[in-house]
Amino acid sequence: MAAADDKYDIRMFAPDDVYFSRGSGGVFQGVIDGTTYDELEVYRAFPFLYTTQYISVRNTKGEELGIIPDIAELYEESAKELEKELQLRYFIPRVTRVDSVKQKSGLWMWELQTHLGSTRMVMRNLHEHLQYPGGGRVILMDISGKRCEIADWQALDAHSRKQLEEVL
Amino acid sequence: MSIQDQLPEQLRKRLAEDPLFGAKADLLHDGRFGEQWLAITEHEVSVWQQDHTQLLKLKISELKDARAVGAVGGGTLLADTGKGPVVLARYTSAQSSIFGFAAKLLGAMAKKEERPVVSERDFPRYCQNCGNPLSEGTQICQICTRNGKVAARMLRYTKPYKLQLAATAVLLIATTLVELVPPYLTKVLIDDVLGPKDVGSTLMLVILGLGATMLLMSVMQTIRGLIGVWVGSKLMGDLRKDVYSSLMRLSLAFFDRRQTSQFIGRVNSDSEAMRQFMTDGVVFMSAEMLRVVAIFIIMFGLDWQLTLYAILPVPVMVAVSMTIWPKIGRRWYHQWRSIFRLNTLVGDSLQGIRVVKAFGRERDEMARYNEANVELVRRNIRMEGLWSFMFPAFAFIAGLGTLLIWYNGGNKVLSGEIQLGVLMALISYLGMLFGPLQWISQMISWASNAMAAAHRVFEIMDTPSEVPDVRNPEPIGVIKGDVAFDSVTYGYEKHHPVLKNVSLHVKAGEMVGLVGHSGAGKSTFINLICRFYDTDEGAILIDGTDLRSISQVDLRKQIGVVLQETFLFDGTIAENIAYSKPDATPLEIMRAAKIANAHDFIVRLPDGYDTRVGERGHKLSGGEKQRVAIARAIIHDPRILILDEATASVDTETERQIQEAISRLVKGRTTFAIAHRLSTLRNADRLVVLERGKIVEVGTHEQLLEKEDGVYRKLVDAQKELSKIKGVEG
Ligand SMILES: Nc1ncnc2c1ncn2[C@@H]1O[C@H](COP(=O)(O)OP(=O)(O)O)[C@@H](O)[C@H]1O
Ligand SMILES: [Mg+2]
Repeated sequence: MAAADDKYDIRMFAPDDVYFSRGSGGVFQGVIDGTTYDELEVYRAFPFLYTTQYISVRNTKGEELGIIPDIAELYEESAKELEKELQLRYFIPRVTRVDSVKQKSGLWMWELQTHLGSTRMVMRNLHEHLQYPGGGRVILMDISGKRCEIADWQALDAHSRKQLEEVL
Repeated sequence: MSIQDQLPEQLRKRLAEDPLFGAKADLLHDGRFGEQWLAITEHEVSVWQQDHTQLLKLKISELKDARAVGAVGGGTLLADTGKGPVVLARYTSAQSSIFGFAAKLLGAMAKKEERPVVSERDFPRYCQNCGNPLSEGTQICQICTRNGKVAARMLRYTKPYKLQLAATAVLLIATTLVELVPPYLTKVLIDDVLGPKDVGSTLMLVILGLGATMLLMSVMQTIRGLIGVWVGSKLMGDLRKDVYSSLMRLSLAFFDRRQTSQFIGRVNSDSEAMRQFMTDGVVFMSAEMLRVVAIFIIMFGLDWQLTLYAILPVPVMVAVSMTIWPKIGRRWYHQWRSIFRLNTLVGDSLQGIRVVKAFGRERDEMARYNEANVELVRRNIRMEGLWSFMFPAFAFIAGLGTLLIWYNGGNKVLSGEIQLGVLMALISYLGMLFGPLQWISQMISWASNAMAAAHRVFEIMDTPSEVPDVRNPEPIGVIKGDVAFDSVTYGYEKHHPVLKNVSLHVKAGEMVGLVGHSGAGKSTFINLICRFYDTDEGAILIDGTDLRSISQVDLRKQIGVVLQETFLFDGTIAENIAYSKPDATPLEIMRAAKIANAHDFIVRLPDGYDTRVGERGHKLSGGEKQRVAIARAIIHDPRILILDEATASVDTETERQIQEAISRLVKGRTTFAIAHRLSTLRNADRLVVLERGKIVEVGTHEQLLEKEDGVYRKLVDAQKELSKIKGVEG
């Protein structure tokens, strides 16, 4: 591929083009096309539809170095680091249990258990703070901008489903 | 609030020096929920885990810089050291502001720069009472103040109509009592006339009595109905007015985040639901209550034992009502949401009807609509279905009571304990009693719908404006037009700044051209001058007065804007030009149009200045609309003029005309102009080049061209290239 048309094309990385690791300071870094970067940023191009595909890798200036078509194709070590970084960058805990959903004078309080620990969300209403990307998935956003995700609300335990039936 | 307060005592004791900053992060290093503590002292940064074991310690002297890297739903505080970046803390977005401040402080310490001063806005604020987050720009906690007094607040709207409502109430009591007469007269008829076969004048008297009560009832019902309609319509008007004015009061930021078509539905249907509850609902309910009480008294008077049978089903009904109440609320909400989706869909596709047609997507739009429509139908059926179940169920339960009375009463009549008329009267009263009981279910429906609507309406009313006026605004009168940006940072979403540390001083009467790539923050810059949004940091001064201390009405009087997307209201051209000055004379309107180079084309229109533009009516071309908008700005006679790509959508000839208009317009006014065609800005006294939210170059056209590697020069070169290709524009 000629360098000239690179600029207007999307660069797709093959598994051999990239190597990701974590620096001693806990920062995501890697070697890309033989160049070492001691800090890299990753973005999901389709955060709702394809969570493990089409990952944009960028330098700290925000310039795109290329796109990982699918994390599953990467070498194991790179894939593991990348997945971890995505989890950190897209802080969207997965809800494992809904303890309670209560409406207290105009605000909705959610007590949730997630795979990252328990948390509470506060919403002003339901129609602006819940998103349904499809399937049984629900994205919750609270008034501070915090997000949680329910992968499939029908797959949750009976107690959680009961809580959710009231509001979904 | 002091920042050191945030650190637990035990941890503070372990520090060698007094902390400059301490904060609790709500995530662990591996991204799970948890607590970690961060403390910054003069020489060190320390991080502790929840159990107070030390996780990290860095010397400030090792640091080169610090950054708060925003991510989705949270962020990371990073320190740049000689050995690469180090993660100090991770946090959810609730804490972005406080760690944003930590990053600034650390960065300044590392680079030995002036340290930032902590401002109240850097802290997430929580209610003192309940610990829930407070929303932006308010000190009032929603949870603590609005403790479910929605109904009371709703009823306050009836206050101005006290008299009418009192009259309704009196009529109501009267009708209710009169309604109770006929069954009693029937009893008299059966027991005293028909039973003993009394052929005297009593029959006629009783019939006359029945007729009189019927007439009286009809009259009173009519009057009551008329008052109800009158009060209802008035109430509805008041509500709509309040919702609409709260909408107008809200800041742009509120609408940025929401689809505007939803509000059409809110203004109308939510106020209708509230009205229904207040007039029909409350009036009905009190009437029916009254009736129930009166009926029971009479029934007890007739035969208390039999009456007890009638009461048996009542607890069942109440219990059923109580259990379905939450369910109904939920179904109302679902139904409302489906309607809301449908409205949004219609609003959206009609606004974009050109695009829909251009791409031939009518079918897909119809499919999308249909899907939402089917959903609404399903919700409707579920909701109404509940009623079809409720009414018969109530009627059946009530019927059981009647059966009991028939049986026991029948026995009593047979054994001669009571007269037939008494039984008949009891049965009639019972029939009247179960009417109101059935209404309970209707009431439940009205009430829950109205409560939901009221919540939504009050939500709008209670949303504080994000650009509040100060209590005692400074009178500015007619300003000179000095505009100063003092280290302004602003982001539509906080912590994703679009303008970064922008400082600029513009003298009165100066024309400044803003240039930069698309997305550089040019429009944002002028949005801030108009105070559509408030700065996150720094201040904007007009004639040395902070924008925030000027009332917005005064401010907007001094500012005229011409935007790229010209919006003309539904009305005539003349009305549109005189939008900001409704009392403008025809001569003034024509003068303004003349300056805007619009006069000639307007006069040539068949309807001249009376041509209807906007939604319906005559469509003007892009350039024509633009010139009408310029005329609108001219008649406003602002001291500060803002042109945001006012000539972006017109051909070169029209642009020349507009250009000419603008050059006449800018004289003596402070002007900010944004233009893609850089040639448009050749009259500018100074050009300000923005790149990624920062001012990178300031100077005249010539000065900036001289810079070998300058951003402006590159932009100019690129445009020359482009016009060569197009073969237009010399
Ligand atoms: N209302 C808004 N809400 C959120 N982000 C916005 C809004 N308006 C503009 N932005 C973002 O702010 C940045 C600067 O936009 P703008 O000032 O309009 O740029 P321009 O220089 O082209 O006028 C862009 O990245 C844009 O996406
Ligand atoms: Mg713009």
